Amino acid sequence: MKSTLPLSVVSSRGGSRPAAWLAGLVLAGTSVVLASPHADSAVGVGTVLGNALTANPAPLRGYDAAWVTTKHTPSGQLFSQPFALPDVRKAASGWEYSGQIEFGVLGGDADEENARFRMYQDIDQGAFLNNFSLNLQKPSDAFGVELTGGAAGRRDQYYGLELGRHNAWKVKLFFSETPHVFTDRYRSLWNGVGTGTLTLVPGLTPGGTTSTAADNAAVAAAAANPPTTLALTRKRWGVRTDLTLSSAWKAYVSYALEERKGARPFGAIWGNNPGNGQIEIPESIDYDTHDLLAGLMYADGLNALNLRFQASRFENNLDTQTFQEPYRIAPAAGVTTVPATGAFTQARFDLTPSNDAYNVRAEYTRSLPDFHKSYLTAVVSAGSWRQDDALLPWTALPGLSLANVVLQANGAWDTVGSLSRRTANMKIDTRLADLTFSANPTNALNLKAKARIHETDNASDPFLAVNPNAVYLDADAATAGNQTRGLTFDGVTGVWGRLINDGSGQNVLLGQNSTPAGNIPIKSAPYGSKQARFGLTADYRAGKNVGLNAALEREKIDRDYRERDHTTEDRLKLGYSHRGLGDATLRASWEFARRRGDDYAIRSWNEFFSSALIPMPTTPGSNVTSWAVRANSALHGPDLADRDQHTVNVRLNTMLRPSLDAGISAQERWADYPGTDYGRTAQRQRSANLDLNYQPSTRRSIFGFYSYQLGRNRQASIAAGGNITIGQVTGLGTVTPDNAAAIGTSPGGPVFPLASAWTNTATDRNHVAGIGLREEIGRTTLNLDYNYTIGHTRIAYTYTVGGAVNAANAVFAGSRMPDLAFQSDYLNASLRIPLTDRLSARLVYRYQKETIRDWHYRNIEGAPLVLGGGAASLPTVVILDGGPQDYRVNWYGVTLQLKF
Amino acid sequence: MKKPSPRALAQLGVTAGVIASMALVTGTVPRTEAAAGSGAGLPAASLNGGATYVGEAVCIACHKPQGDQFMHTAHAAAFRLNPRNDAQKLSCEACHGPGSNHLKDPSSPANRGALIGFTREWGTPVAQQNAMCLSCHQGGQHMFWSGSAHAMANLACSDCHNPMAKISATGLLKKPTINETCYTCHQQQRAEFAKRSHMPLPEGKMSCVDCHSPHGSTTRAAIKADTVNELCYNCHAEKRGPFLWEHAPVRDNCLNCHSPHGSNHDKLLTVARPFSCQECHGNTNHQTTLFNAGQMVGGGAAINSRVIGRSCQNCHSQIHGSNHPAGARFQR
Repeated sequence: MKSTLPLSVVSSRGGSRPAAWLAGLVLAGTSVVLASPHADSAVGVGTVLGNALTANPAPLRGYDAAWVTTKHTPSGQLFSQPFALPDVRKAASGWEYSGQIEFGVLGGDADEENARFRMYQDIDQGAFLNNFSLNLQKPSDAFGVELTGGAAGRRDQYYGLELGRHNAWKVKLFFSETPHVFTDRYRSLWNGVGTGTLTLVPGLTPGGTTSTAADNAAVAAAAANPPTTLALTRKRWGVRTDLTLSSAWKAYVSYALEERKGARPFGAIWGNNPGNGQIEIPESIDYDTHDLLAGLMYADGLNALNLRFQASRFENNLDTQTFQEPYRIAPAAGVTTVPATGAFTQARFDLTPSNDAYNVRAEYTRSLPDFHKSYLTAVVSAGSWRQDDALLPWTALPGLSLANVVLQANGAWDTVGSLSRRTANMKIDTRLADLTFSANPTNALNLKAKARIHETDNASDPFLAVNPNAVYLDADAATAGNQTRGLTFDGVTGVWGRLINDGSGQNVLLGQNSTPAGNIPIKSAPYGSKQARFGLTADYRAGKNVGLNAALEREKIDRDYRERDHTTEDRLKLGYSHRGLGDATLRASWEFARRRGDDYAIRSWNEFFSSALIPMPTTPGSNVTSWAVRANSALHGPDLADRDQHTVNVRLNTMLRPSLDAGISAQERWADYPGTDYGRTAQRQRSANLDLNYQPSTRRSIFGFYSYQLGRNRQASIAAGGNITIGQVTGLGTVTPDNAAAIGTSPGGPVFPLASAWTNTATDRNHVAGIGLREEIGRTTLNLDYNYTIGHTRIAYTYTVGGAVNAANAVFAGSRMPDLAFQSDYLNASLRIPLTDRLSARLVYRYQKETIRDWHYRNIEGAPLVLGGGAASLPTVVILDGGPQDYRVNWYGVTLQLKF
Repeated sequence: MKKPSPRALAQLGVTAGVIASMALVTGTVPRTEAAAGSGAGLPAASLNGGATYVGEAVCIACHKPQGDQFMHTAHAAAFRLNPRNDAQKLSCEACHGPGSNHLKDPSSPANRGALIGFTREWGTPVAQQNAMCLSCHQGGQHMFWSGSAHAMANLACSDCHNPMAKISATGLLKKPTINETCYTCHQQQRAEFAKRSHMPLPEGKMSCVDCHSPHGSTTRAAIKADTVNELCYNCHAEKRGPFLWEHAPVRDNCLNCHSPHGSNHDKLLTVARPFSCQECHGNTNHQTTLFNAGQMVGGGAAINSRVIGRSCQNCHSQIHGSNHPAGARFQR
């Protein structure tokens, strides 16, 4: 192909004015990173393209030495110095272009495999393409193309292409890959990780052997194999088109496909609750999510309208996961299998279902300039989440039977005939109506009235936990002889309750011809809620610099099937801002929120339990705990409990010198939960922050910050002790069917003795500090960036010895958990050395260190098999993830950056 | 199947009706040149003391560095290559207003009222600055600016944006990235992203505006969805369900358990497990046990799996909901 005409190279700084502005049409000729798939920040996710090596673009680019003026934002913060102008090359065809590519080689510890180091990044030794960009412009047609990308071939790679006619239309295509590494210390017992079927590695026997000790030894031996990494990779492709249809109308449409593949630690258990043989299996992940978004926007000065449609299809390509288990699990009482022993060789999870989501939305604003400069904004939105996955049978194990249960035709527990329905058929609809009216009675005063109603309407029919094709062999233990019939509830007759954990356990009503229980789940709860919020806001501007505002709001939330039918939260917020305190801007606010609600009814779930089928026994001596007690009645969930919360925010920005600005901010938030004696009883958060930004010249800038945070969470509970029986004499009275629930759930009653009360205070403390330096030394540029983070959590508890913890164990329990501790520091150094006008070299170095102490994984790394009962017993738990580990890395590299 | 609430439908219908009515009324309102959208009309002649337009060549003659940088911005590309209206053709004066009075005594601080400036040094009232930006940036997300937390805090557009230079890849921000721009005020959130578990913002894979709309929204925290859960489902579609067996606080609000910006604990949990679960669960079994240091591996007392590894989720692994018929306790 014939080459294009000779190119001329101009700096967009130089040249005549027409040449200069033509050159200037090249959008960020050396914009190396972080293009955006979505320009409109109110719509869509995935707003940046980049990775850890390009997250901070400063070391990659030079600065504009001609930009000598240092200005501040209206709040008093220094504006960043602009980057150096690109060199633009022009072709006679009218096309102009500029671009750059940076590539190099990394060494040292860049291949560190520690999961913490690799959590969201993929750095490795050897040659790599750090980033590239290319900008093409044809000014005569107002046409432009921008290409960007980085980390080619690595798991944090990204690419973006944008083309279009300025101010008319544009098309964006993007691809971004993000790793998420969970652990590099996982000792897998299975082959097939990442698939729907996990088979035990050689040496392990599905269903175990007759010797638990031998099984333990085999598992320990398999777990001694080198650890592997469990991670997933998120790949997201997308395309978006934006159209400027006229001066008033704009439209956009986008489509994105996200693919997630990999595996992460997961848990599995056998037997009845609390079960046994807990094993940390890997969960295989293979998701595809399709997102479609389309919108239309209109604005004419008086009216603005946004219309939007979203559709999302989530597909789980692994609908189920089956795994072999290496232990001999005995069936629970009342469960028989064929063969009776060693039958539980595998289990099957129903993984998260494929689902669909839709949303349509209209937003409209009407300005009324002649009526106190007012406007009205109305938003309506309607959406739906749906899934209709085929349901699995209760167990995949054939030949399973229960005592006192007779299976009829199609009633086998390993068939869908044993289910109350074949598919999930779940649906939740959401609806929003939001209105705002704003008016300015005077030039200094703005008033707003707001109303919002949002509903999450669970339109699903509850799932009934029943085998409709089964009956009881002896439906009435009090009547001599067998009577084969089922129990009828919600119009369905059968055997109620459920097989659990693949049939190794059962929670079936009357399944053992024994005393019935009142706490067997028989029906799912379609949780939903409705929020109504109304508020008034006044915003007063006292002169040019001072603002005062006040907001009063009431929010009422009605919830379906929760302990409270509704809560109401009133909020008062006062705000103050002053832009004219000398060289400072001060902003402060205080908010008080008071939440209350109707009676806290812990037995509100009764209709979902077998207590709805079989009334509480009334015979003296009957144990009625499972009917009467759902929880400690004074334990209120923190999302529903009464709460008084204060939040104070203060922020000061000041220009200490023209080249030095400081930002100081603090927040204090404290919440009390009046009426909540147990559960979360108090919460406090405190934060103090200081930023300093010094830009003495175009060749030097220094930035430093420090943040302190305190979080404190107090909770209390009572370790449940005994049962409650009809006729029992307690300190709260003699138990009758009428007062059993009140006595059974009361602190100080027989179930929740005060002597077993305990408290817990979790205190998080964090310090984060950082300093950054940019120094131009001759033609070279040095960037240094150091960050230090320390996080520390102390969990301290109180209890009565002999109550929540017995005397023997109190010796070991002490008064607190070992501290959770996290410390991280890193140093980034970059020395950029121009070699020619178009070529520069960059020396990069990173030191990174992290230490972490987490008692959840204490002493696990070397002994994943926790043998609480001894070598011949089933393990208490098999934790195959060794947990987070310390690391320290030094990696370095050299790159070349070529401009073209 | 449960039918949609009639009241909700009625409310939705009324609101839609209000919108339709307003749209109908709107159709009868003549558009004035001054009010025409997207800067279609020239700024009011009263700007800058009744000054007249001088043209960008005059501006650049003195402000060459600014002119050179401005060339690379989206504004310049739109204004110079494909202007949609007369205002856009004005280039510099489209935002700064007519400049003739400024020329009379450009260096005098007393004459700063002759031009709209967007820096603290210049001193143009914030309301006037913002009004200039909003004269073009109407509709879309800007519809909610007036009621936003940022507007209530008396922020100027130029507290976050620098339209004079392409410092950021998009959005003409004052800092090279979205996150850095937000951190200049939201230092507390910056510290949270440095914690043990965090969203991948420091790693360059997310930005604040993946979740928040800084120009306002219908929500208190300016999130880009009607509720917290709807927002989270944008990326975590596998949590969307609805599941056969739902976990009530999970369906209600992800923030009941998670701290979205960062946490000292695994999985962005607000409180470490098992204590997190015990804030709500107080029934008669292991839910109310005081789990303690003695129960760790090597702790001295009887080992308890709830203080090991994934804690409660060692067994209740499907804690966000289960679609297995036997999953009422989120174990399958």
